Amino acid sequence: MIFKCRNCGGNTVYSPEKGGMYCPHCESTGSEEKIGDSSLVQCVNCGAPIQITQYTSACRCEHCGNYLIFNERVENVFEPKLILPFRIGKEGAAAAMEKEFSRRLFAPADFLSAKSLEKMEGVYVPFWLYDYDADYDFAGEGTRVRTWRSGDTEYTETSYFEVVRRMDVDFDRIPVDASIAMDDSVMDLMEPYDYRALADFAPQYMSGFFGEVYNQKAEELDERAQAKARQASEELLQGSLTGYTTVRPYRKNLHLTREGFCYALMPVWQYAYRYRDKSYLYHVNGQTGKVIGVTPVSRGKVLAYGASVFAAVTALCYMAVHVLEIL
Amino acid sequence: MRQYFRYFKWLYIVLAAIAALTVVLHVGHWMLAKTMNYQRTNTECITDERVFDGAGVLNDKEEEKLRRLIAKRERQTGCDIVLVTLNEPLEAYAREIEPGVRSEEFVRVYAEQRWENDGFGYDRPDGDGVILVDNWSRADDGSIHTWLCTTGRARDVYYEEDIDHLLDNVYRYVEKNPYRAYKTYVNDFYHDMLGWKVFHMYVPGYVPWLAGIIAAVIFCVANWRSKEGKKTTTATTYVAGREPVFRVSQDRFLRKMVTRRKIQTSSGGGGGGRSHGGGGGHHGGGGHSR
Repeated sequence: MIFKCRNCGGNTVYSPEKGGMYCPHCESTGSEEKIGDSSLVQCVNCGAPIQITQYTSACRCEHCGNYLIFNERVENVFEPKLILPFRIGKEGAAAAMEKEFSRRLFAPADFLSAKSLEKMEGVYVPFWLYDYDADYDFAGEGTRVRTWRSGDTEYTETSYFEVVRRMDVDFDRIPVDASIAMDDSVMDLMEPYDYRALADFAPQYMSGFFGEVYNQKAEELDERAQAKARQASEELLQGSLTGYTTVRPYRKNLHLTREGFCYALMPVWQYAYRYRDKSYLYHVNGQTGKVIGVTPVSRGKVLAYGASVFAAVTALCYMAVHVLEIL
Repeated sequence: MRQYFRYFKWLYIVLAAIAALTVVLHVGHWMLAKTMNYQRTNTECITDERVFDGAGVLNDKEEEKLRRLIAKRERQTGCDIVLVTLNEPLEAYAREIEPGVRSEEFVRVYAEQRWENDGFGYDRPDGDGVILVDNWSRADDGSIHTWLCTTGRARDVYYEEDIDHLLDNVYRYVEKNPYRAYKTYVNDFYHDMLGWKVFHMYVPGYVPWLAGIIAAVIFCVANWRSKEGKKTTTATTYVAGREPVFRVSQDRFLRKMVTRRKIQTSSGGGGGGRSHGGGGGHHGGGGHSR
């Protein structure tokens, strides 16, 4: 399908800044109408052949530049239940990157130039959101140690406690990306998303962006979600064992029950830069603006900054020593 | 460049402030020294000489320059400043005066005796002043012993660490350039006497360099962000109501155990003690060997 403007016939897209459909040609809003059932091999607008992967659900026609959404990949078993619409646009993402990279002192100054930009696209990444109930049964022996001195004798008092915890945790929508192309560690670092902005899926949100259907089923990724739930449960339990010098567990049973899951699309900006013959890929959370990616290091900057710190600290110490000696 | 200056703004401001403070202190110190002009009141001292180069390590010109420097510093500090170099075994001499004295303190016995016998002291015999005795004669173990003896006001000012610092500075040059070493002795004594001496501590010369290197390495490592990004979720991010429910949370006291241990206290053995109060308890001082 494709969304066209009723006023001018241009391709309408979802505008993160405006929070709705927008025609970039005549600047009208809310003027979209859905056109046609797109095929997976041909552009519904210009008829040019298109090349997509087995998971592509939305893309841009390289010939006419219109954004296509493939009906069969957003309907039936592939229909997402929820979608988190982009809240940050292209400029916002670029600004977030600039802000983040300005904090990275050793990144080369000319690194983020338009010249080195290879790719910039907004992608809806498929996620499974899992709900779990965790039941954690813990028992152990805790010690509290107190030491004091009296005269030339040191006393150490060790108090022993039986520590029992029975903890219920209700996990809601633990996200796990279902895209093989996306690096799992990068997607984990993109979290958290603000779920309050989740909306029921509508294909309009995808116009103007790229998208994928889930590459793996929910059952296949359940283990990753469980690992997240287990780690969080462990941290929560440990947080309740304060005040002890040591805790030796003798019973630890964590039982997870999956209460449900749903398929959702999350917004991610992808930027690819080429700098000194090396590619750098960055991801910006399309909702929160969080930036993930490794920046190159400028040896000149390391040398200049490092030498400055060395010179300044050495001079400071010299002067401080001198002042102390005079005093 | 703008990022560089913005980043280091505060560092440079602090640097400039401390530099200004250093300059102010130096100027103050210099102005204070200019106003100092003590009158010598000791009339019983048997000699006007201050440089006794028995070891012959100084030439005439150097001796003369040291004499002029000492005369100036004496007026500024109000202390006699005496330099003695020797090249003779002092065992017989020292053992006659102090039969049980250790070999490394022969030179101390000589310094104290020389000071008292010649009647040194700026205000009175055995009054304010300092004497450095550097005996170039090698002891049985091959070492050369040096002693710095302080009396009167100089004794009040000089703590053990001050003496160590001064002798370290002398030893830095003495083998290659005795004149420079003894000039350092006179000038360091002058600086120490005119300083306010709030802190009796000395930092080895390599410490600022080491601090600079450590700071630069920590700075570079901390800013070398090879990590992709920070984890910003917590254990409660996906927990409904943001907290778990504890159906049971029980901490039951079982028993208590008390152990005790005798604390071993060490006594004495303060590291050999380079300062002492010998010959009636009115001398301070300390020695080094090389």
